[in-house]
Amino acid sequence: MNLLLILFGNLLSGISRFFNFGSGSTWPGHIALSVNKNFIKDLLKNSKTKIILIAGTNGKTTTGRLIQTILEKNGRKVFQNQAGANLLNGIASSLISNSSLLGKIEKDFAIFEIDENTLPLVLKEIDNPSFIIILNLFRDQLDRYGEVNTISRKWSEAFKKLSKQTTLILNADDPQVAYLALHLEGANVNYFGINAKNSANKIQHASDSIYCPNCSAKLFYKTICFSHLGDWSCGECGYKHPQKTFTSFPFYPLSGTYNEYNTNAAVLLAQTIGFEKEKIIVSLKDFKPVFGRQEILNINGIRVQIFLSKNPTGFNESLKTIINLGAKNLLLLLNDRIPDGRDVSWIWDVDFEDFSSKFRNVVVSGDRVFDMGLRLKYAEFRSFETEKKLANAVNMAISKTPKNETLYILTTYSAMLDVRKILTGKKIL
Amino acid sequence: MKNYSLTIGWLYPELMSTYGDRGNVISLQKRCEWRDINVKIKKLDVGFDQNQLTTCDMIFMGGAQDKQQQIVADDLMKKREELKKMIDNGIPGLYICGAYQFLGKYYKEANGKVINGLKIFDLFTVNPGIGFSRQIGTSVIKALNNKIIVGFENHGGRTYLGKRIKSFGKVIKGFGNNGNDQTEGAVYKNSFGTYLHGPILPKNPQFADLLIKLALEKKYGAPTNLFPLEDSLEIQARTAIAKILKIKI
Repeated sequence: MNLLLILFGNLLSGISRFFNFGSGSTWPGHIALSVNKNFIKDLLKNSKTKIILIAGTNGKTTTGRLIQTILEKNGRKVFQNQAGANLLNGIASSLISNSSLLGKIEKDFAIFEIDENTLPLVLKEIDNPSFIIILNLFRDQLDRYGEVNTISRKWSEAFKKLSKQTTLILNADDPQVAYLALHLEGANVNYFGINAKNSANKIQHASDSIYCPNCSAKLFYKTICFSHLGDWSCGECGYKHPQKTFTSFPFYPLSGTYNEYNTNAAVLLAQTIGFEKEKIIVSLKDFKPVFGRQEILNINGIRVQIFLSKNPTGFNESLKTIINLGAKNLLLLLNDRIPDGRDVSWIWDVDFEDFSSKFRNVVVSGDRVFDMGLRLKYAEFRSFETEKKLANAVNMAISKTPKNETLYILTTYSAMLDVRKILTGKKIL
Repeated sequence: MKNYSLTIGWLYPELMSTYGDRGNVISLQKRCEWRDINVKIKKLDVGFDQNQLTTCDMIFMGGAQDKQQQIVADDLMKKREELKKMIDNGIPGLYICGAYQFLGKYYKEANGKVINGLKIFDLFTVNPGIGFSRQIGTSVIKALNNKIIVGFENHGGRTYLGKRIKSFGKVIKGFGNNGNDQTEGAVYKNSFGTYLHGPILPKNPQFADLLIKLALEKKYGAPTNLFPLEDSLEIQARTAIAKILKIKI
C-alpha cells in the first residue's frame, strides 16, 4: 500500500509542477496520511537516515537551509521538507518525493522544519530523531498557536520520552527555550547563543519571557540581544543562563543578528556531527538564501530584497537589519489569511516609532492595508502611501526606487508568496 | 487645547500586553497630542507604589498569558482598595480581556479552581475547559449609543454579568462575553471592560475620544468638547472590516 502511495504521490506532484499549480508540497502527503495514518512511521522504520528536526518561532527555514548546505557541500546526501510545508502532511510529502520506488529512503540526513504545534505530533511518529534544534519562542499568531507558555509546556511534555540517541540543540539566550532542558530525562543537550555586542539593558516591548520560567520572579539581564534573548539570571531561585554555549563563528553568510543565531545553531549541529570549522566556513561561502528570506531579485534593473516578517520580534529585527543596510525604499505587506494569522493586532507591538524618519519612500499594501497604514500614522511616519491592489503597490514602490538603490519588501507569509509571484511570474507553493 | 493635561496610568505594560494592547495607549496618547493636550503615560509594573495610581486621570490595562496573569493577580490584589476607590469615583478606564476578567468577582479555571477577582465589577468568569474551544475571531458589536465597534477577540473564559452592571455592547458578529447572551463587555461608572482587542481604540477613534473627554471632564469638572481630527484612515480600516463581514457602518 505504501508503495502505491509513493508512486501516486510522485505522479501528483509531477502533474502539479507541470501545470504550475505550485510544487505540490503538501497534497501527496495529505493523501498518504489519510489512507495510512502510520505512513511516516512505516516509511522511516527500516531507514538509516538520520533525522534533524528544527522548531521555533523564527528562523526555521533559514537554519534548515544552512544545515543542508553544510552537509551537502561535505558530500552527504540530504533532503528537506519544503520551506513552510511544516505540518505532518509536508513531512510525509517530502518522504514520498525522496523514496525510491521500492519505498526506501537512501539519504544520510533528513531535515524537517516543524510548526510549533506540530512538534509533539511529529515526535509520536519519529521516535528517536538524531537532533532537535529549538531556535526561540516569541509571540506569533496567538489566534492559531496560543500563548508562548502553552507551547513550551507541550514541548517539554513531548521531550520527556527522548533517549540518549537524541541531542537537543537549544538557544541558551531564550529563558523559555533553555528551560526545556531542566526536566529532560534521556536526551543530550548542547547550547548555542550569541555574545551581545551592546550591553543595552532596555527590554523591548515585544518580549515574552522576562520572568523566570522556573519560579516566576523577574529575570535580571546582564546583556540583551533583542526581545527577551540575552544573558539572563534569576535572583530568586538562582536559575540562570547555561554556561557552556557556542556563541561565535568567524563567518556569517546573512545579515542581521537573528541570522547569527541561525548560523550558530547550524554550525553547532555540524560540529556535533564532527565537521571541522574550516570545512564549515568553506561550505557556507556561497550560501543562497531561501525564497523570501533575504532573497534578492532583480526587477528591470532595480534590486529588490524580500524579508519575510511575520511577528513583532521578526519585524523589529528585519527593520533594524535593513536600516543597517542603508534602506530608503520600503514596501510593507500585511495579510490576515490562515498562514499569516487572522489577528493583525501584533503590528502594534512592532517598534515602528523607532523608524518613523528613516525611510524616503514607503508604500503599504496587503489584505489589511489600512490597518498597517493606521499603525504608521500613529507611529508618525512622515509620509507613506496605501494601495489596496498588490500589483499596483509593487509597481508604485519599484517606480519610486532610484536605479542604484534597493527596494526592501517586509511582508507576512501569504503576501510574500503573492508578491514573489508578481515579481517572478512563478508560483512557488 | 494647550491648557489641558492628562496622566494615563498603564497597568502592567510588561506583563499585561500580549495582544497588541500597546496600540490603545498609543491611540490615546496621539489623539491627545494632536489636540495639544499635554499627556503623560505612567507605566505601573509589578511592585509599583499605589500612591502613583491616585495621580492618574485615566487607567488602562490589557490582557496576557495565564502565567503572567497569575503574577499580576498577586500584585494587583494589594492595590485593590485604591483602584476600587478610583473606579467608584468615576475615573475613566479601559480594561481589556484578562484585565476585564480581573475586575469581576472570580475566575473559575477549567479544573474547578476558583481565583478571586477584585470584586469591583458585578460579574464572574468560567473557563469551561477541554472540549470547549477558545472564542477567537473578528468581532463587531453595537455600543456607545448604537455605534459600531470593531475588534478581534481571543479568550477561553466565558463571562456572565450580574444584575448590578450593564453590558458594554450587543454582539453583531462574534462571541462577546460568553457566546450565548449576545452581551459584550461591561460598563460601570466610567470604566469599560471588553474582550475586544485589535487593538480596540485605533480603529474605533470615537471610543478613544470618549475616554479622553470623560477624563478631561472628570479632572476639570466642566463639560469639554474635543475638536474633530482627520480620521479618514481610521474610517477606511473600520469600513474594510465591516465590508468583509457584510455589515453596514
